[in-house]
Amino acid sequence: MRKMFVALGVFFLMTAAASGADPVRVGFISVLSGPQAPNGQSELNATRMAVEDAGVVLGQKVELYSKDHQYNPGLANERAKELYEKDKTDVIVGCSNSAAALAVSDQAARHQRIFMSTSAGTTDLIGKNKYTFKLNYNDYMLAATLGRWGAKNLGKRWYTITSDYAWGHDLLKHFTNALKAEGGQHVGNDMVPFNTSDYSPYILKAAQAKPDVLVLLSVGKDAANCTKAAAEYGLKKNVTIMHALLFELDIKGTGIETFAGDYTAAPWNSAVNQPGTKEWADRYYKAYGDRPTFMAAAVYSATRQYLDAVKRAGSKETDKVIKALEGSTYRDFFVSPGYIRPEDHLEVAKAYLLRVKQPGQLKEKEDYFEVVGELPADRAQPPVGLFKTLK
Amino acid sequence: MRPGVATTGPERVIMGVQFIGAQLFNGLMLGSFYVLLSLGLSIIFGMLGVVNFAHGTLYMLGAYAAYTVCYICSQNFWLALIIAPLAVGIIGMIAEWTLIKRLYSVPHFYNLLLTFGLMLFVEEGIRVIFTPIGQPFDTPPALAGSVDLGFMFFPKYRIFVILVTAGCALAVWLFLARTKIGAIIRAGTDDSEMVSALGIDISKIFTLVFGIGAALAGLAGVLAAPVQNVTPEMGNNILNETFVVVIIGGMGSIPGSILGGLIIGELITLGVVFWPPVANTLVFVFMAIILLVRPRGFFGRAKFFE
Amino acid sequence: MQQHLYKRLFFCCAVAFFIVLPFLTSTHSLATEMLIFAIFALGYDIVFGYTGLLSFGHAIFFGIGAYATGIVLVRLVPSLFLALAIGMGLSLLVSYVVAFLSIRKKGIYFVMITFAFCQMFYFIGFKWTGLTGGDSGFHGVPRTSLGPIDLNSDITLYFFILAVFFASVAVAFRIVNSPFGRVLKALKENEDRARSVGYNTKAFKTVAFMISAFFASLAGGLYAVHSNFVPMDTLSINTSADVVIMALLGGIGTLYGPIMGAMLIVFLKNLLSNWIGNWPLILGAIFIVSVLSVRQGIFPVIFGKLKEKLCMQR
Repeated sequence: MRKMFVALGVFFLMTAAASGADPVRVGFISVLSGPQAPNGQSELNATRMAVEDAGVVLGQKVELYSKDHQYNPGLANERAKELYEKDKTDVIVGCSNSAAALAVSDQAARHQRIFMSTSAGTTDLIGKNKYTFKLNYNDYMLAATLGRWGAKNLGKRWYTITSDYAWGHDLLKHFTNALKAEGGQHVGNDMVPFNTSDYSPYILKAAQAKPDVLVLLSVGKDAANCTKAAAEYGLKKNVTIMHALLFELDIKGTGIETFAGDYTAAPWNSAVNQPGTKEWADRYYKAYGDRPTFMAAAVYSATRQYLDAVKRAGSKETDKVIKALEGSTYRDFFVSPGYIRPEDHLEVAKAYLLRVKQPGQLKEKEDYFEVVGELPADRAQPPVGLFKTLK
Repeated sequence: MRPGVATTGPERVIMGVQFIGAQLFNGLMLGSFYVLLSLGLSIIFGMLGVVNFAHGTLYMLGAYAAYTVCYICSQNFWLALIIAPLAVGIIGMIAEWTLIKRLYSVPHFYNLLLTFGLMLFVEEGIRVIFTPIGQPFDTPPALAGSVDLGFMFFPKYRIFVILVTAGCALAVWLFLARTKIGAIIRAGTDDSEMVSALGIDISKIFTLVFGIGAALAGLAGVLAAPVQNVTPEMGNNILNETFVVVIIGGMGSIPGSILGGLIIGELITLGVVFWPPVANTLVFVFMAIILLVRPRGFFGRAKFFE
Repeated sequence: MQQHLYKRLFFCCAVAFFIVLPFLTSTHSLATEMLIFAIFALGYDIVFGYTGLLSFGHAIFFGIGAYATGIVLVRLVPSLFLALAIGMGLSLLVSYVVAFLSIRKKGIYFVMITFAFCQMFYFIGFKWTGLTGGDSGFHGVPRTSLGPIDLNSDITLYFFILAVFFASVAVAFRIVNSPFGRVLKALKENEDRARSVGYNTKAFKTVAFMISAFFASLAGGLYAVHSNFVPMDTLSINTSADVVIMALLGGIGTLYGPIMGAMLIVFLKNLLSNWIGNWPLILGAIFIVSVLSVRQGIFPVIFGKLKEKLCMQR
C-alpha cells in the first residue's frame, strides 16, 4: 500500500516537474522589412533585451519568436495564427499598424492567449476583448496631450493638416474635442491623401488662416514633406508646428533643420527625467548604435510587465495572468507608474511634451528632443467608458 | 476653406488674387515634374511600344544618384544635376539593351510585366543598399529662399524647377524636330519597320530613345529631391499620375505630354484648394472620361488604341 | 492506353497530394490560403490564358467577393452560402460593367483601363469606411457552420474549401473544353478571323471576363471566412499583380499551370518572408525571369520534359 502511495507521489512530482518544463514563449510581430523596418527592428531589439533581462521565469528561460508582418494586416493575421498555433506562444507583443493590431487582437481571442498591444494607436483596441491589453500610446492620448497642453501654452488659433486615412481621422476627432474643452479655436483643417509629395498648396491655405499653431496629424514622410514645405514658405517664422507622432528616425532621415523647434507628444523619450531612463537608453544605444524611440521602450516595458505578471501569478495560464495584470501598477523607466485598468485593460501613465532642439544644441548623437512639459495620466488618457469596456 | 475669409472689401480681393496666384504657381511646379516624367514615358511608348512601369523607379534612381553625388562631392548640387540624369540615362540604356530588347517580338504586355518586375526588384534593391528610411536632401544654398515680389513670395527653387523643365522640353522638341536623329526617331515612331528597311540600325535608336526617356525621369528625380526627400518609394505615387498625364495628352505625343502635365498639375493643386476631399480622384475621373470619350487623348494617334 | 493509365495515376496522385497537404505545411491555414489563390488563378487563366486579355484589375472582384461575404455574414445573415452567393452575384454585375467599358479598347489600353479601375475601386473601398472599415479593414467575420459541420477548426475549413476547389476545377475544365472554350482559343489566336467567321468576339470576351470574375469573387469570399477579416489589400494593385504572376509563372492556358503557380507563390511568400525581409525583391526577380525565359510557364516545361523522358523509355 505504502509503495503505491510513494509511486503515486513520485508520479505526481514528475508530472509537476514536466509541466514546469514548458517555458514561457513570447511572440513578437512587427514590421521588419520595407520602409518602416527600422522602427520594427528597434522594437525587436528591445524585446530581446527584455527577454534576456527577465532571466528565468517559472524555472525556465523565456523563448522569443519573432515574425515580420511587412506592415500588411492580412499577413499580420497569418503570423499571429502561426505564433499562437505553431510556435505555441503564450503572448504576442508589439504589432504596429492599427489594422494589423486589430486582427491580432481577434486571433488572441480565438486562441485565448494574451496580446500586449504597444505599437498601434487605434482606440478600437481599448476594451476590445479581455485578452487584449493596450499599453504605450493611443490616438486619444496623443491628440488630448497636444490639444490640452498646446492650447494652454502655445496659442488659441489652430490649423490642422490631417492624413486622410483611418488613423488621421481618429486623431482629428479626439484633437478637436480636446481643443474645444480648452477653449481653443479650430480655424481650419485639410485632409491630405496618403503619400502626397507636394504640400505647398496646403501650406498656403494654412498660412491664409493665420493660426498660432499648425498641427500635423500625420507621420513619417508625410509629416516631413509638410514641414519642409512650411519652412520653405516661411510659415515657421510665425507659426509653431506640432506633430502627432515624430520619431528620431524621421528626424534623422530628413535633417534636424527641418524639424527644429517643432513640438510633439509622447509617453516617453530618452531625455525624460524618470529613474532608470538614462541607464536603459544608454544601454540600448551601446548595444544597437541608435537612440531608442518610445516604441522600443514601450515594447521592452510591456514584455517585462507580462513576464512579471507571470511570475506573480505563478503560472502562464492565460486567465491567471490576466488577473495578475488587471488592476496592477507597474513601475519601470518607461512608466512610473503605469496602472492597468481592469475595466478596459488600458495602461494609463502620464504623457510628455517634447520639442525638437535647434541644430546647435545637440550634445550627444541623435539627442534630438528636449522635454518641455508633461500632462498627468488623468488628463492625457481617456476616461473609463469613453471607449469600450469589458464588463 | 475659401481664400480671404477674415477680411472684407478690396483687401479681400487682393488677398484672393494673391492666394490663387500662389496656388497656380504651385500647380506649375507640380506640373513641371509631370511634364518631365510624361515626356519620357511618352517617347518610350511611342517609339518602343513599351509601357514602362519602371518609370517611377528611374525617377527615384535620379534622386538617389543626386544624393550619392552630393555625398561624394561635398553637396555640389550643380554637378549632381548634370551627372545624375546621365547616370540614369545610361542605366536605362543598359536595361533596354540587355532585357527589354528581347521582348520586342512577343506581345507587348510581356514588356509591361518585365518593367513591373524591374520596378519591384530595383525599389527593394535600393532599400537594401541605402536603408529604408530615406535620405535628407537640402535645397542648394544658391537657390534657397524666396523672391519677394511685393504681394507674394515665390520660393527661388521652385522658379528654378519651372525654368529647367521649360528648357528641357524645348530642347527635346528641338532635338526631335531639327536633328537628323530626331527625324529618324519621329519616323520610327510612325513606322519602325520601314525605317529599318531603309538601312538604319533601328535597334540602336531604340536604346537611345529609352535612354533619353530614362534621363528625363532621372532629371525629374534630381529636381524633386530637395522638395520631396529621397525615399525608395517616391516613384510609386507619381507614376500613377504620370500614366494619367500620358493617357490624357496622348501616348507618344510631345505636345500632349507638356499640355497634359501642366493641366494635371493645375487640376490637382486647384482641387486641393477648392474641393480637398476629391482632389486626387479628380485626376482619375478625368482620365476615365478621356478613356471613354477620346481614348487617344488630346494629341495621340488613333491607330494605337481603337 | 498507356496515356490513359498515366492520366489516371496523375489524377490519383493529385487528389492524394491535396488530402495530405494541410499536414505538410507549417499551418493548416497556409494550405487553405494556397487553395484560395489556386481558385483565383484558375479563373484568371480563363480570361488571360484562354482569351488573351491581360487584366490588371482582378483584385476588384476578389475584393468585392471578400467584402460582400464579410459584410453579409456580420451585418445581414450568418449564412455562408448566401454570403458567398451575394458576393459572386455582385461581382458578376460589376464585371459586366467593367468589361463593357474596357473590352472595346485594344491591347495595351485594355491593361491600362483595368489598372485604372482597380485604383478606383481601391479608392472607393478606402473612403467608404462605413461599409468597409477603410484601411483598418473589416474585422470580425465569423465562420458560420454548414449544418452540422463546424468550420471554426482550420482543418475542417480546409477540407470544405478543398471540395469547393475540386468543384471549381471541374467547372473550369468543362468550360474550356466546350464549344465556348474553343471559340475563346480561336479569338485569342486571331480575333479578326474569328470575327469574320461570324462570332461576336466582344460578347465572348465579356463572358470570359465575367466567368473569371466569378471565380475571383468566390476565392475572395472564402478568403474573408478563412482570415476572419478583410484587409484593404484585397482590392489593391498588388493582389492584381500577384494573380498575373501566378498564372504566368505556372503556365497560362493550361488550367493546371496557374493552380500550381498560385500554390507555389503563396507557399514561397510564406516561407521566404519568414526568413528574408525582402520578398518584393524575390517576387520582382521571379517576374523578370519568368517573362524573359519561361514564358510558357515552369510547369508545362517540367511536364513536357517528364513526358519526353517517359516516352523515351518506351
